[in-house]
This record gives sequence, structure tokens and C-alpha cells, in this order.
Amino acid sequence: MSEILNIIAVGLLLGGVYSLVSVGLNLIFGVIRIVNFAQGEFVMLGMYGAFAAQVALHMDPYVAVVLVTPALFLLGAVVYAVILRPLGGEPMMQIFATFGLLMVLQNVILAVSGGAAYSVDSVLSSRSVSIGPLQFGLVRVVALTASSVVAAGLGLYLKLSLQGKAIRAVAQDRKAAQLMGIDVERVYTITFGVGAALAGLAGCLLSPLYTMSPQIGTNFILPAFAVVVLGGLGSVLGAYVGGFIVGLTEALAGYYIDPSLKDAVLFLMFIIVLIVRPSGLFGHAGAEEVGLREQS
Amino acid sequence: MSKADRLRAWAKPRGVPTFAFELPINLAVLATLAALVWAFRADGFSLNILAGAFLFAGLATSWNIVGGFCGQFSLGHSVFFATGAYTTANLYLKFHVSPWLALVPSAFLSAGIAVAVSWPVFRLRGPFFAFATMAFTEVLLSLAMYFDSVTGGSRGVSVPFRAGFANMIFRDRLSYAVLMLGFLAVSLIVLSAIARSRLGYRLQAIRDNEDAARAAGIDVLREKLVAMALSAALTGIGGALFLMYVRVADPPTLFSLFDVGVKMALITLIGGIGTIYGPLLGALFVVVLENFLRAELGGSIPGGNLIVLGFILIGTALFLRRGIYGALTGLVARFAGKPT
Amino acid sequence: MKLTRRQFGAATLAALVVGAGRASAADPIKIGAVNPYTGPMALYGDEVTRGFELAADWVNAQGGVLGRQIQIVRASAASAQEGIAAVEQLVGRDKVDILTGTYVTAISNAASESAMNYGKLYWETNALARDLTDRGLPNFARSGPSGREFAQRSVEGVLKLVASRLGKDPKDLQVWLEHEDSAYGTSIAREQESLFKAAGVKVGVGVHSAKSIDVTDSILRAKATAPDVWMSTAYVVDTNLLLRAMRDQGFKPQAIVLLGVGDTRETLEALGAEFLEGVVLVSYARPDINPAYGPGAAAYLKAYQAKYNRDPIAPQSMNAYVGLKILFEAIAAAGSVDYEKVIAAAAALDRPLGTYECGYGAKFDDKMQNTRALPVVAQWQGGTVKAVYPANAAAEGVKVVNLPRA
Repeated sequence: MSEILNIIAVGLLLGGVYSLVSVGLNLIFGVIRIVNFAQGEFVMLGMYGAFAAQVALHMDPYVAVVLVTPALFLLGAVVYAVILRPLGGEPMMQIFATFGLLMVLQNVILAVSGGAAYSVDSVLSSRSVSIGPLQFGLVRVVALTASSVVAAGLGLYLKLSLQGKAIRAVAQDRKAAQLMGIDVERVYTITFGVGAALAGLAGCLLSPLYTMSPQIGTNFILPAFAVVVLGGLGSVLGAYVGGFIVGLTEALAGYYIDPSLKDAVLFLMFIIVLIVRPSGLFGHAGAEEVGLREQS
Repeated sequence: MSKADRLRAWAKPRGVPTFAFELPINLAVLATLAALVWAFRADGFSLNILAGAFLFAGLATSWNIVGGFCGQFSLGHSVFFATGAYTTANLYLKFHVSPWLALVPSAFLSAGIAVAVSWPVFRLRGPFFAFATMAFTEVLLSLAMYFDSVTGGSRGVSVPFRAGFANMIFRDRLSYAVLMLGFLAVSLIVLSAIARSRLGYRLQAIRDNEDAARAAGIDVLREKLVAMALSAALTGIGGALFLMYVRVADPPTLFSLFDVGVKMALITLIGGIGTIYGPLLGALFVVVLENFLRAELGGSIPGGNLIVLGFILIGTALFLRRGIYGALTGLVARFAGKPT
Repeated sequence: MKLTRRQFGAATLAALVVGAGRASAADPIKIGAVNPYTGPMALYGDEVTRGFELAADWVNAQGGVLGRQIQIVRASAASAQEGIAAVEQLVGRDKVDILTGTYVTAISNAASESAMNYGKLYWETNALARDLTDRGLPNFARSGPSGREFAQRSVEGVLKLVASRLGKDPKDLQVWLEHEDSAYGTSIAREQESLFKAAGVKVGVGVHSAKSIDVTDSILRAKATAPDVWMSTAYVVDTNLLLRAMRDQGFKPQAIVLLGVGDTRETLEALGAEFLEGVVLVSYARPDINPAYGPGAAAYLKAYQAKYNRDPIAPQSMNAYVGLKILFEAIAAAGSVDYEKVIAAAAALDRPLGTYECGYGAKFDDKMQNTRALPVVAQWQGGTVKAVYPANAAAEGVKVVNLPRA
């Protein structure tokens, strides 16, 4: 009994990690409809930012969040303004540009670090919390809590604040939003910046868990897309729940079937959901029909 | 009509350009490339680059059938690439079938898998279709690593060096460059034939407005499947040729998203998506550039060559919106005084 | 390239000083170093080439080989396809005489075959797969241990060293073999499995992807079999993840054995000296080795520190350094850089174990694998890695610690 409880706990904690990593991608993809392949690299930069803060300023990664998140917001906003906005009407070129960005970010970090794998230390590392027979790493519990707080916060922000409503309006119908006087490009820039900042936040909070290498971003990007699509395009709740679905699937498949097959199981499930309910579990039905064309 | 008139009529076709119009241009382009190969015939370094460029040009051209002309942005073509490679490898190594002959079942199997895999996901549009194709790549990669009997598992396949025309293994780079040029020729001619045929126009109609195409009576699913099958067959042949060139490949190499699946799409985008010669231009640009950068910068700063390549890609996306082909035709048009 | 030109300049100067009076200053012997300098293996590819460069410095200071200076030329290759291009570049453009490498098997495979096309020697120092020598390529030789030697040494270490410290007979031992799913982990684990089974040990095997975001499932599966010894063949990032997951899940096997990685600062920083105390490592010999076992290792360390202003990143470099030293001997004995002559000369070499810094000797079998190149078993002790097995490899006063793990 405790064995399956343990696995479920592992899956839920992993889900927290995935939710945290994917919430930024969900925002960018849901609102701006850009497939940002460089999103994993933003997470990686968040991790390396935490490392840099620790080496230079002796900051704990949880404190470094204060520095890293705004820095990534700026990076995201600049990337959008300089690279993606000019390509507004060309979705495929935007995807292509994000690949170029991925290459640049990954290899700049490689050049600077020489490819060495770094670790950060936190006061919370190697501490665990025990509930009954189960043991949870404290860092993972914090990640889970953070993903819940971020998801809730983002959801409330989008629902209640004026800027959040503007973002939702733009996501629903860009032209109508423009007619209502919303500066669509400004919304997009801010959204992309927030999406990057959320990725950086994730990177920072996850840095005690992972040994970071320049390529670690590419390990996150595909599961992140799975989360976003499974949960439902544009739905914050969807991305949150999607994370848990992916985490549980991986943990259960890894333990009961084989760890080397868990990717196959996850992506097979992903394909089935895409075929059966392409809008995802919480997305608006028909969202997938919209595709990339509606940007103009 | 006089000869000059006939030539003028050919050069300025009235109505819709046909394959008969396109074929001579294909041949002229191929002849130019053959001359390029001949010019470098003594330089193994350049021949290797040209062979790689032609291979990827052929792959990108085949991708363009379904990605550029039909508008289905597939990022999962590495599945067909791998299928072709494994089929040829197994037939050659286990049953001693000449790789030349093995190309045929490779093409068919790739096409078959393409139809099976895309049938359920063709209803998805835009990025969702792309995600589904990427997901298929990951699933098949995992399975290829896990089930060793057909694919050799994580060790991959290794074709021992036994030179001979029948084995498609050559000692010199010139033969490989010519082989890849042959592949490019086939891809280019097939794409031209499709582009200048009713099939091509149906595909473009689907790309431009799927609902209108359906309303106009086009069987959208059937056309998409035909395009995908043709594209996959050519990609499968490309995979087989890749294997006979490099002679050692494992699942992460063959199913690679970034080095195969996405690269095909990227090259086509750079060169000019939806055009006949765009992928070729893209391949010549990207493959030559990345080899040049690696040769110059690869040994010094780690990753230096890829940083430069990444910036060039971003720059190309920003400044060559319609790809290299689009930029060139724009230049020519401006030169000729026509409105761009 | 800048580095090698500067080095070449310094070396020429040294040669002019040392080799004054020699006949016409012959042009250098160029050795092309094919290694990944980008991608996930960049750090190790770079480190291996540093071993080459130090070897070149060492021999150049003594007048070079056959009166000619050695010049190392780099070519980056992160995949088999790039390996072919690298060879084309080195042979066609840079006109190298000999090729060497290579941290990754697939790259070595393709590059050495390309080298054969041009009739150039391919001297492998690091890549592990057995296939590379089993192929029987006439221009290929491997100076360092293969995956089989690693597997054998690791099993030997468990059966001879660990089992006795745990007070268990091999027939009562339960071992879990964890490995990453590419050719590297799979081939070594298969070898380990068959060796263990032949000794009557009970073996469980686990496979994981090196790119996994989470490996708790692998740890839980291992934990369920309650093994005495947990062994892993993987890369740095996933090894660190596995060890952390072990700690998080309270999985405490009596012995942890890491093969190939886990012996660098990257793992020390991730897990801390306290957790790592007593963790058994199977890897290349390091400069801490007993001088009777591996003469000159301390001098190597000094040379590395002097040239690169840091400690060696990984022991792969000393292995590469020794590999090239053996090559230089073969070239000198052959009197030429012609691959057939060098291979023949190498095949005739007979140096006992303990000739070189890593404790190697030189005796190539009929497939041109050096049979006297063996890794060592070491342990993390107080935040440094110390060799413990074979007993004569251990430095003065080094004892086995924390086995079984407290």
C-alpha cells in the first residue's frame, strides 16, 4: 500500500515541477500563439542565474529569485520586441527564430562555463519532510507549493486585474481587442516577458534539484509542450492540472512498466489525447482548430 | 513560329506553368550543381560538405511537399528518415540485399508508416499537428532503443566497410557527392512534377484555406495522405543513403529532432518554403555555413561555431522573410523594374 | 588554433635549444585531435585534448619524435557525421600525419573509417566500445582501456574488495546494475551482468534515460530488490540525480559503486563530501596514484596545473596523455608516421604494467587493444578521490573507508 502511495507522491511532486516549468509556456502559447522552442532555455538561464547569484553574491537560490525573475522578464521582453514582433505575421519564421535563439542561449552558456555541470546549494537541500511512511524532499515540496501559488496568482491576475483582462481579451480575439483600444503589441511584449520570467522562476526554484548543464533546457521543452497541450491551450488551471497528469504518468509508467519506456508511454498518451480531445482537458473546444493563422 | 518565338513562348508561358516548363529548369540547376562537384573533385573536404548539402537539400525538398505545398508543418520526418535507414540496414546486413534494391522497400515502408501515423492526426491544425509529429518521434525513438532485434537497440546499426558499387559503399568522396546529387535530382523532379500538376494545386488549395478546399470538393484527407506518403518515401530513401554514407547510426542520431526532423523544416524555411528551389538554396546555405563555422571556430571556444550559426539563423529569419529564394526573386524583380 | 601555434612556437624554441646541431629542422608531425568541443560532451572532449597537448609539450621538450616537433591540431566533432567532416578537414586542409581521439565511440567509429580512406593512423586513447577494436580496422589501435576492462575491473572490485568488506560470499550478494540507455551504458552493463552471473551473484538491472527529468522511479525499483551493492554506469547529470533521489528516498545500500563518472567536482558539489564518503569509483587512474604503480603521475599534475592554472577536470586527460606517450614510442620505433609501420611497431611493444603514469604497460593484442591498460578502483575520502584497488595502486597510507556505508 505504502508503495503505491509513495509512487503517487513522487508523481505529484514531479507534477509540481512540470507545472512550474510549463506555466510560462502556456501563457506565451495561449496568448501570443507562438511556439517558443527557446522556453526550455529560459528555464536553464534561471538555473544558471541562481548559480551566478550564489557564486557572486552568496545568495540562496530561493533568495536569488528576486534577481533572476525580473532579469528574465527583461530578457523576454527584449527578445519579443527585437526578434518576434517584427515577424508578427509569419508564424513559421517565428518558430524558426526561436530555434536560432535556442542555439545562441545554449551555446553562450556552454562557451562561458566550458560545459562543466554546476550545482547550487540551498538551506533546504537534502532536507526532507516525513508524512507517515513517506518521505518528501523539501525542495520538491517547495516547488509544488510554488507552482500552486503561481498558478493561483496568475489565474487571479488574469481574471481580476485590468491588465490580465486585456491579456485574456487579446487571447480571445486580437482584432476585437484592438478595436476596444487595447495596445495589442504591448500586451504581447508583457506576456512574453512574464512567460520568460515564470520560466526563470521555475529554473531558480528547481536549481537545488538538478545538476545544471547547458543542454538541460532541451530536456524540459518536450514535456512542457505535453503539459500545455494536455491541460488545454490558454487555461492556467489546465497547465496546472496537466503538470500533474504528466508527472503521475511518468512516475507510474516508470515504476510499474520500465523507466526507459516512460517517455513512450507519456507521448503515446499525449497523441491519444490530441486525437480524441485536441483542445486538451480544460481548453475551449475548437481552440486547436485555430492553429497559427489567426494572428493576422 | 520561328525558333526565337518558340523559345519566348516557352520562357513566358501563358496560363499555368506545367511540368514540361519546369523540367528543363530542374536539369539546368542539376547540371550547375554537377559542375560544382566537378570543380571540387579533388578536394575531399569540400566534396564531403557538398554531399551533406545535397542530402539535406533532397530531404528538405521532400519535406517541402507536405510542409510547404500542403501547409502541414511536420516536425516528425525523422521517423521516416530512420525507417529508411533501418530497412536498408537490415536488408543489407541480414539478407545481403544490395542497398540499391533495398531503397524500394525502404521508400514503401516509410510511406506506409507515414500514412498510418498521420491518418489520425491530420485533423489537427498548425502547431498541434507539429506537436503530434514530435510526439510520434519520441515514442518511436523510445521503442527503437528498447526493442533491439530490428534496430540494434541503443548500439544502433553499423555497416562494415566493404567497397563496391553494388554495396553502395565507396572509397572516394566524389562518388558519394554524385550519389547525393542523384537523390536531390529525384526529389527535385518529383517536387516539380507535383507542384506543376493538379495534385500540387489541390495541395496548395488545402494549404491556403482548408475549409474552402473542402467546400470546393477536394478530398482533403486523401490529398494530405498522398502528399505525406510521397514526402515520406523520399525522406526514407534519404535516410538509407545517409546510413550508407556515415555507416554508423543509433536511434538518437536517426530520430534526432534537432539534427534531422527540425533541420529539414528549418532549411526549407530559410531557403523559401513552398517554392521548388527554396530547400536547395537553404541546404546549400546552412550546410556549407555550419561546416565552415565548425572548421574555423570549432576548436577554439566551445560552442562558438553554434553561437554564430544561431545569430545568423535569427538574422536570416528577420531579414529574409520569404527565404533566400524569395529574397533573390525580389532582387531580380526589382532589377527588372517590376513591382515586388 | 592560437594555443597550438603559441605552443608550437615555444616548442620550436625548446627544440632549437635542445636539438641544436641537428640536421635541417624538420617540419612538425601534425596530429589531428578529433573530439567533441560542443554539445553535452564538450567538457570531456576538451579535457582529453588537453592531455594530448601536455603529451606534445612533454615530448617536444625532449626534442620531439624522430627529431620533429609534435603539433596538435583540433577538429570538432559532436556526431559521427561531424567526425567524417573533421577527418576531411584535418587530412585535406590541415595536412595532418596522424589522427587521434576520441571521447565518444560513434565519432571514433566514423572518423577512423574515414582516416582509413586516406591511409592515416587513427590512435584511439579514450573511446570505450569493444566494437572499435573488434572491427579489425588496419589503421586503428586503442591505447587505453575498453569498456570490457572497465566492466571487469568493476566486477573484480565488487567481488574482491566490496564483498569481503560486507562480509558476504559472492553467492549471497545481491547487486543492482543501473545504466543509462545509450550504447555506452548498455554495453558495459551487459558485460558486468554476465560476469556477475558467472560468479553466482544475483543481479537486477535497471535502465534509465540520461535526459530524464526525474529518476525516482529507477531508485524505487532498485530499492524494492534490497540490493547490497548498487552500481551505476551513466553520465554526470543523471548520476547526480540518481544519488540525490537515493538520499531523498532513504535508499541506503551497503555499497555504492559508480563507473566512469561521479569522480569529479561536479558530483562533489552536488552531493557533498559527507554523503559521498566511501562511495566506490571505477575510473582512470588519477595523479594521487602510488608512484610505484603509476610513475610520474605527480609530475603530470604539476605540468597540468602550470599550463592550465587549475586542477585536472577529470582523469580522462591523464589517460589521453599516456596514450599519446605510447604512440610516440611506437612512432620512434617505426621510424615513420606511416600507419602500417606504426601499428607494427606498436604491436611489437612490450612494456610491463607500471611503466606509465596511469599504471599502464604496453602490450597490444591481435585486435590492437592495449591489454595492459586498466582502470582503478577508488573511493571518495574526505572530499578527494583516492585509489584503493588494486592494493599497490593505493598511495601510502590510504585505506578503504566507510564500507559498508554507515
